[in-house]
Amino acid sequence: MNTSAVKWAGLAIAAAAVIFSVVLASRFGTDPGLVESPLLGEPAPVLELPLLDGSGTFDTSRLNGTVTVLNFFASWCLECRNEHADLVATANAFNDRGVRFVQISYQESAEASSAYLDQAGRSESTLYLSDPGSRAAIAYGVFGIPETFFLDDSGTVVGKIIGEADAFILGATLDSILAGETPGQKITGDTQQRPGD
Amino acid sequence: MSERFKNLLIAGVTLAMAVTLVLLVATNETPDDRVERIGSAIKCPVCQGEAIADSPAQMATDMMALVEERVAQGATDEQIIDELLGSFSGAVLLDPPVSGATLLLWLAPIAALVAGVGVVLWWKSHPGRATPDDRLPVTGSRRLVGGLILIGGFVAIVVVAGTLLQDRAGPAEGAADVDVQNLDDVSNETMEAVVDANQDNPQINGMRLALAERYFEAADYRAAFPHYLRVAQDPIASDEEAATALIRLGWMAYDGNEEVQTALTLFDQALEIIPDSQVARYLKGQVLWCGAGENEQAVELFEAVLGDDDLDDSIRAQVEADLSLAAAGEGCA
Repeated sequence: MNTSAVKWAGLAIAAAAVIFSVVLASRFGTDPGLVESPLLGEPAPVLELPLLDGSGTFDTSRLNGTVTVLNFFASWCLECRNEHADLVATANAFNDRGVRFVQISYQESAEASSAYLDQAGRSESTLYLSDPGSRAAIAYGVFGIPETFFLDDSGTVVGKIIGEADAFILGATLDSILAGETPGQKITGDTQQRPGD
Repeated sequence: MSERFKNLLIAGVTLAMAVTLVLLVATNETPDDRVERIGSAIKCPVCQGEAIADSPAQMATDMMALVEERVAQGATDEQIIDELLGSFSGAVLLDPPVSGATLLLWLAPIAALVAGVGVVLWWKSHPGRATPDDRLPVTGSRRLVGGLILIGGFVAIVVVAGTLLQDRAGPAEGAADVDVQNLDDVSNETMEAVVDANQDNPQINGMRLALAERYFEAADYRAAFPHYLRVAQDPIASDEEAATALIRLGWMAYDGNEEVQTALTLFDQALEIIPDSQVARYLKGQVLWCGAGENEQAVELFEAVLGDDDLDDSIRAQVEADLSLAAAGEGCA
């Protein structure tokens, strides 16, 4: 090998090392919570969760056959409070069209979530569930809240909103699902983790 | 027996012993060891690069409980990891998979090793001497290659270290031992860790409020909100702590979300706890004036605030200025 070839080989190695390092370093800042959910296009996880009021349990397989909006919330989440009125209004508006809303308390006691809903208001057409052991949050791959999932009438996850949703986004997403479309994932803003985590 | 054969025999026996040892360790793994090993490979989704086995976060604890349950049910490592991958994607793996785009991550060190060995071999076979047929003497090209590698390595270290330091600032370990009385030099991350580690300690509300105040002053209402809410709802919080939290929540409801009625309710709750709170009275007046256009009610509240002889001069001047504008029927600035 002549010296010129080695010189250029060394130069190429050094340049490759720099480019590789920069690409690698740039990935450190990427929020893993924003990657596309692997649940999209897959059957929704089936879970049996306690009702928030403690009056029994609910098997989520019963949601099959119904277009469903499934939202994770907590009283300590500011974005959840901001979107709450829109969730209630959209649940009421789409009730006649056979859409079911389910809100699942995220990493919070059932008592704290119930007290919050007493203050913020409930929709009569929404099912409120608790999630002991974060089993639903793990099954849905929740990185932070609010996160909202959309299930079509075959029980397939067809949409997800990361961040605060408003009535316009919720309504438009439901309209597209009812029209047989798959809206996919949208990122509307930040999510929160439980304080201290 | 030849020397070569002896060496081969020793190497073979050593290798066999190592393999046996590894197999023994692997087959003697208890279920707890397995849970720990699997948990060490799964990244906590709400943490910064921490395994669920090492993180105290609620989500990590709950995921470890799930892994433990699956191990007890007889699931294989692959089944457990696949279940989590099916929910969270590959983002929960601490080590990237050896496939697809991440293959480069695994191959890069091997490629770097091969290239490094090549450079070293060339280096050793080319002692520094001039060659007439090259434009640069060999010593010059050697320096160029060596210099480029050094610069490349330096830039790589600076970029990676800079990014890591930026993302992971703030110590968390040992944070629970921080002196609560002196918070000036304590980072927000450390305070978060201390508050989290002492959630059931009634003395922690002071630090929680101090942390919330930092966020509030930085207008980071989102971060401040859960801490104020926790203090406001804490039955063992002192009257002063609860009132402070309610006042801040009220102002954030108005300033951050234009919720006039919620803000007024929260200020009233604070005034029920501490009836002579001039801050609650003044901010309630501000919301009535700026948010509801209720100048008369605002004027009454501003006048009540000015009736306090102990009011700080600068605050008095501000309230007087607001009072004169509100009394003249003006809107707030």
